[in-house]
Amino acid sequence: MAERAVEAALKAGATEAEAFTQRSRLLQIDFTDTDKRIRTTQSTGLGLRVAAGKRVGMYSTSILSESELGQAAEKALGIARAAPEDPDWRGFNKRLERSSIQRIYDPSISGLDYTDLVGRIDVALDVLRGYSEKVKPSEGTLGLVDATATVANSQGEGMERKGTGAMAYFYAKAEDEGRESTGIEFVESRLWEDVNLDGLALGAAEKAVRFLDARQMKGGEMPVVIRNKVFASILGVMLGPPINADVVQKGASVLADKRGTQIAHEGITVVDDGVMRGGMGSSVFDDEGHPTQTTPIISEGVLENFIYDSYTAQKDKVESTGNASRSYQSPPRPSTSNLILEAGTATPEELITDTRRGLYVETVIGEWLSNPVSGELNATITQGYLIEGGELTQPVKGMVLAGNWYTLLQEGIEALASDTANSGSNYSPTVKARKLSIAGE
Amino acid sequence: MILIEIDLDRVLDHALGLGVTYADVRYQRRDSEQIQVENGVLKNHSSQTLSGAGIRVVYGGSLGFASTSDLSWKSLEATIEYALKGARSMSSPEEELLRELKVNTVDVRLPTKTDPFDVPPEEKVGLVLDANKAALTSEAVKSRISRLGLVNNLTVFKSSDGADVRVRTPLVGFGHSSVAEAEGVKEVIGDSRSMCAGYEFIAHEDWNEFSADISRFAEEAVRAKHAPPGTYPVVIEQDVVGLVLHEALGHACEGDAVANNASVLAGKLGSQVATEQVTIVDEGVVQNGLYHPYDDEGAEKGRTTIIEDGVLKGFLTDRRSAQKLGMNTTGNGRSQDFENVPIVRQTNYYMMPGDQSLEELVEGIDHGLLVQMRGGRGGQVDPGMGTFTFGVGPSRIIRGGELQELVRGVVISGSVLDTLKTVDAVGKDFKVKTSIFGGCGKMGQQVKTGMGGPPVRVQRMTVGGRRG
Repeated sequence: MAERAVEAALKAGATEAEAFTQRSRLLQIDFTDTDKRIRTTQSTGLGLRVAAGKRVGMYSTSILSESELGQAAEKALGIARAAPEDPDWRGFNKRLERSSIQRIYDPSISGLDYTDLVGRIDVALDVLRGYSEKVKPSEGTLGLVDATATVANSQGEGMERKGTGAMAYFYAKAEDEGRESTGIEFVESRLWEDVNLDGLALGAAEKAVRFLDARQMKGGEMPVVIRNKVFASILGVMLGPPINADVVQKGASVLADKRGTQIAHEGITVVDDGVMRGGMGSSVFDDEGHPTQTTPIISEGVLENFIYDSYTAQKDKVESTGNASRSYQSPPRPSTSNLILEAGTATPEELITDTRRGLYVETVIGEWLSNPVSGELNATITQGYLIEGGELTQPVKGMVLAGNWYTLLQEGIEALASDTANSGSNYSPTVKARKLSIAGE
Repeated sequence: MILIEIDLDRVLDHALGLGVTYADVRYQRRDSEQIQVENGVLKNHSSQTLSGAGIRVVYGGSLGFASTSDLSWKSLEATIEYALKGARSMSSPEEELLRELKVNTVDVRLPTKTDPFDVPPEEKVGLVLDANKAALTSEAVKSRISRLGLVNNLTVFKSSDGADVRVRTPLVGFGHSSVAEAEGVKEVIGDSRSMCAGYEFIAHEDWNEFSADISRFAEEAVRAKHAPPGTYPVVIEQDVVGLVLHEALGHACEGDAVANNASVLAGKLGSQVATEQVTIVDEGVVQNGLYHPYDDEGAEKGRTTIIEDGVLKGFLTDRRSAQKLGMNTTGNGRSQDFENVPIVRQTNYYMMPGDQSLEELVEGIDHGLLVQMRGGRGGQVDPGMGTFTFGVGPSRIIRGGELQELVRGVVISGSVLDTLKTVDAVGKDFKVKTSIFGGCGKMGQQVKTGMGGPPVRVQRMTVGGRRG
């Protein structure tokens, strides 16, 4: 289909064309204490980009029929012809190749039995309820997706790739003598075997009950130990945009002129790894058909590289790093694949033991509201603990964490643990920050 | 003209033939277009067509749902099978699943003058290029992004009960963001305006001035200090009031959360949850808001009173949650698109105006903040607890009852029920808005909403910022 779309566009008069198709099936089961919802979606889509000289246009459609191809070509060309010339336009991706990656496709996912899955969820919900009389499930989701994408362009042969995803979230709510709290656990993986529903349910229940005693405490500046999944999310929010060549070229990155300089402490190493085994952001080729790779971003504190798609790479006269990302409805942009903060050697417990007085952050909301342009980091701590004398003591909630991301990278990170975990396609160990601002009561 | 590509009645008949006791089908076609200009260069101009059908069935007392973007009969048959397979996997509940509903047969649309897809592409691209250029107000402006969004949406809902509800909704909008730099510090300010209208809304506004004004604000904000962290009184302007209410209160009155006891408002009907100054409603059709006369279950969306004079009066429901709560459906069953099941969502959720001017609200504060939206980044809430956090825009310090300097990096945070009990004054300058660019996420579904209200004064708000 992608190759035929390219042919149709060339026939209609395009000087170059590129087609990206997606076909996916998703099974999603949402559940609460008393109710479940199940849905199956079958989605198709074609994104067609065409160039008429240095004028570029795009049209996309969910209708994958032969008759739609001709129309799509005409519409995309109509848009291209109305565009001013893009002086930076140097054509579509010229290197259509694939990389090799293990454990990103699980063929069992599309064959799982609906009734069996619902039964497993029921068992997990019973595990959650059984933890304590004080706790009940509030909501959760199990999502299983099997997707195929193809890329073709007028520069080379079309290619197809497959990937799967398995995601599960459990929220528990605890109540006791007028006090209320919630607990959440989640997993996001490529493989069904990584999803332990009972374990997630139990984890959510434990947290909800433990945080019944949580309260807002007095704020101030203090050392803060941040859990792996939380810091992974912060890493994605704060480092994803400024290392994006598109953001750099638009002048919106504070790292624009920092390549080759020390932007972080020498203990900090970050890579963008598009070929990570089992990685949530891994794929055998990117969304323009360029092979994926491992790109060093920060090596021992030195900013090494930005991430590129073919447009931004050609503009900077470098090779694409294979980071083109898109849905069929939008043109590609660079986006991180698996963004990984390299782990240290300490255990997360050691990070806590080494803290005389501080805060441990278990869950946050609103970390994505932080500002990667100014570097201002903000997050509301929904669950945390005071650390007193190297031990977790009083559970806390509702406090706001703030600091400057670049100050944190340069001098603020005291230690990294060895317990890497992911939030989406961002990976981090538990991290100890020397000092962050905490707003409280 | 838009054609309905499939025979919806045939889908319903086929499902009924397989033994389902109820079926509905939602056909959708959405045509959209985006134009984005970055620093004077057209970076994206694309157009999309999305179409498909979602099929919901009740079988053996349980609900199943499946969708397809392939509208061939073979695919539709398979989709009915998937919906049925889903329903069969569920243990059947003892009670009735869906609340009874008036069967509507309507075909409604908002009158528009100019279809945005009839406007020549050169004209639309030119408008965005011009506005982007106008935003280069000084050398401190380092980056400019301008965008135009255009949507025409059609949904056709038919059910085995005989409902036939057709709604056409246009939505257009313009957004701009500028990055300013001063002394090595960068700040980004973004803002947008949207309307459920045709292209005439775009043609009548001065987007050059809109974009230039954002750049000037970014230049001022980048030189601003940080907000002092702590808990103190604030005046919250309209857009922030709308956002806070939507996130922190609106979600808590969604009937599914209430029925599952996942809401801080569960069991509080009839009780005083806010000060007497506070009245809040959810309404389907409001001037300048979202156009939502019927929901995705075929129910009419009128006005629902949530809080009247501080007393909790009602919740928002779809057919499922209405049944669970023993209430009537309020027409709030909404889905992102045909691929999703309708769930309880807000439409235009807003606070009714009071009688005070902004000056009067500010006068009442010795040390505080006027919390402003422009340049803000959005919000999030923990639904079980009512804890909210919002990254708002650069805001003004209030000192001695007067507005003073701008501060940036402002985050407000609190518990909604505590916050509503410290609202001590409500302003009179009222506005509701919607956005083509943003949306509200819940259970993985994004929908457009409308929100707003008057400015209000809150006696206690936790503000996150940074000393110095």
